Amino acid sequence: MLNRPAHEQRAASPAMTDERYLDVVAVRKSFKGVTVMDGMNFRVARGELVSLLGPSGCGKTTLLRIVAGLMQADDGSVILAGRNISSLPPHKRNISVVFQNYALFPHLSVAENVAFGLRARGMSKADAVQPVREALALVRMQDFADRSIGGLSGGQQQRIAVARALVVRPDLLLLDEPFSALDRKLRETMQVELKSLLRDRGITGIFVTHDQEEAMGVSDRIAVMNAGRIEQFADPSTLYASPATPFVMDFVGLSTRLSGRVTGQEGARVVVETALGTLRAPGGLATGTPVLIGVRPELIRLEGGAGMNRVDLVLEDVAILGSKTMLQGRPDGGDRLLCELAGIRNGKARGDAISFHWAVEDTLIYDASAEVTT
Amino acid sequence: MTATRADRIGLLVLPGLAYLGLIYALPLFLLLLKSFRDATGAFSVAEFVQIFGDPLQRSIMARTLRVAFLVTLLALVIAWPTAIVMRRAKGGWLSLFLVAMILPMSLGVVVKAFAWSILFRTNGFINQAMMALGLTDAPVRLLFTETALVIGAANVFLPFMVLPIYAVLQQQDPNLPDAAATLGAGPYQRFFKVILPLALPGVVAGCAFVFSMAVSMYVIPSLIIGERQQTVAMQIARSFLFLRNEQLGSSLSTILLLIAVSVVLGSSWLAARLGARQ
Ligand SMILES: Nc1ncnc2c1ncn2[C@@H]1O[C@H](COP(=O)(O)OP(=O)(O)OP(=O)(O)O)[C@@H](O)[C@H]1O
Ligand SMILES: [Mg+2]
Repeated sequence: MLNRPAHEQRAASPAMTDERYLDVVAVRKSFKGVTVMDGMNFRVARGELVSLLGPSGCGKTTLLRIVAGLMQADDGSVILAGRNISSLPPHKRNISVVFQNYALFPHLSVAENVAFGLRARGMSKADAVQPVREALALVRMQDFADRSIGGLSGGQQQRIAVARALVVRPDLLLLDEPFSALDRKLRETMQVELKSLLRDRGITGIFVTHDQEEAMGVSDRIAVMNAGRIEQFADPSTLYASPATPFVMDFVGLSTRLSGRVTGQEGARVVVETALGTLRAPGGLATGTPVLIGVRPELIRLEGGAGMNRVDLVLEDVAILGSKTMLQGRPDGGDRLLCELAGIRNGKARGDAISFHWAVEDTLIYDASAEVTT
Repeated sequence: MTATRADRIGLLVLPGLAYLGLIYALPLFLLLLKSFRDATGAFSVAEFVQIFGDPLQRSIMARTLRVAFLVTLLALVIAWPTAIVMRRAKGGWLSLFLVAMILPMSLGVVVKAFAWSILFRTNGFINQAMMALGLTDAPVRLLFTETALVIGAANVFLPFMVLPIYAVLQQQDPNLPDAAATLGAGPYQRFFKVILPLALPGVVAGCAFVFSMAVSMYVIPSLIIGERQQTVAMQIARSFLFLRNEQLGSSLSTILLLIAVSVVLGSSWLAARLGARQ
């Protein structure tokens, strides 16, 4: 954390609290001596829907639980709308959570589940009827009010969980892999519904997922987490087009990667020697630096002009997926190279000699000497 | 196809039913029959009228019910936190708890009763501890009292309360109290609106076990309070073994049986009702 001047730390102006609606500052957490989170900083603006994306065990749930107050951080603070809520118990934070397994109360009916938060806040049964009905209508479950939870399908339970979380008008909504138990079709419908639901009501939300497509589809910004750190926090297109680290490049979308070594500089381009020949990438790095070169499969073409990067190889696999065709090549002892072509492309077969071409500007390059883990 | 298969699987209960019927139901039925007959063998409820008219019998029945109720209550009060801790325990600790619950069951009641008498004696551990803490000046008489009986019996029946409660708590989704908390429920609301209602079937089952065992216990009261303060079960034994009054014995047995059956039926009805929504 940078040491900000005292006057700035007070965060008085409304614009500022909007920018830093949720401010997680230098949060540390370890379990029995194993550090899971070592100084996490994370900031969400008011009304934003942000995804936490990362592999299993990277600390997404831990971060959510700390924000919700269900878990105590060892150090650091959580600030919501300019108020330090670090020491508030969960029931005083007004932060709703949609749990991965929905966590609906099995002894209560659908309507009673949705009414739970209102009743817990002291609202009378009669007063709760109207908001509960509205919340159920919002998720199109109004006909299920008197049903018991046991008989509902996964998608229906999911909707009830969302209605239950929203009916209390939370200051922040946390969703921990809310769609992971649903099938693909239903998942996509729910993603669209959730997105518009939150946007319409201006609710700030954090959405945990380990599915990069889901993250890109749902959120305004994505925080890519790895081993208790945020590797990059950006909007989906930035994340995809210019991933900050090889980890982000790998995790967000498919990519091809090649290792090499810098052999020279040509203006604003570095020249890299790889096992598959000389390649060029934008940027400037010292000669001799070990680097990692990446390229997105859909930016690769089968024919190219002068000044483009080019790699010759033998096709290992052709997969026709309908809307696209994936060509895969593995040069002798090298990494896998992927090329994605739009539509169905016949006429290419395993064993064909082929060349991949892509523009120098589309080449991603990372300093591999700084990289400890890949 | 599946129906016939299910039918044939149903046949597997026959040996169990036959065993229960022969060893359990038949003699019980004969006993019941006897309680509704007078000395000549004619139908009569005279024995019951006499029992309920006798102040001594009434006080014995009242004591039996009171002791059973207190035993159930004490067992519940001790069992609840135990079950909660067991729910959170993992691995070795959990095994330790389970062994601690189950092992004493294999130890005869007689051994345990003598062990308590060491604790309860006038110069026993409890009295010495109470005097050391300044709770009492002179030793309190504990052995041969109802208090000692309640404490001792609750100890014996504790596993039958802990295990069903542990079983329901163990099935509870640990996220439910957290979900309640994020919805604004404080610790009390979480307990009374979520944790307890979900655990209630186990609590009811545990109470039914303990109550029906406590209301009919014979060995424990005989060892702890002896003949001084009788319970219904002791009365039954006395009427059969010493008084040779089979009429009285069988009628008392019928009363005890009715109490036990109504507790079991009532509690299973309650548990079914509570469980219906889940
Ligand atoms: N209560 C706990 N006790 C011990 N270790 C824990 C506990 N909770 C989490 N951890 C550890 O902390 C790390 C982060 O866990 P967390 O549940 O936050 O991961 P996650 O990103 O949510 O993973 P997933 O995608 O699998 O849900 C893991 O290594 C996990 O083993
Ligand atoms: Mg998780």
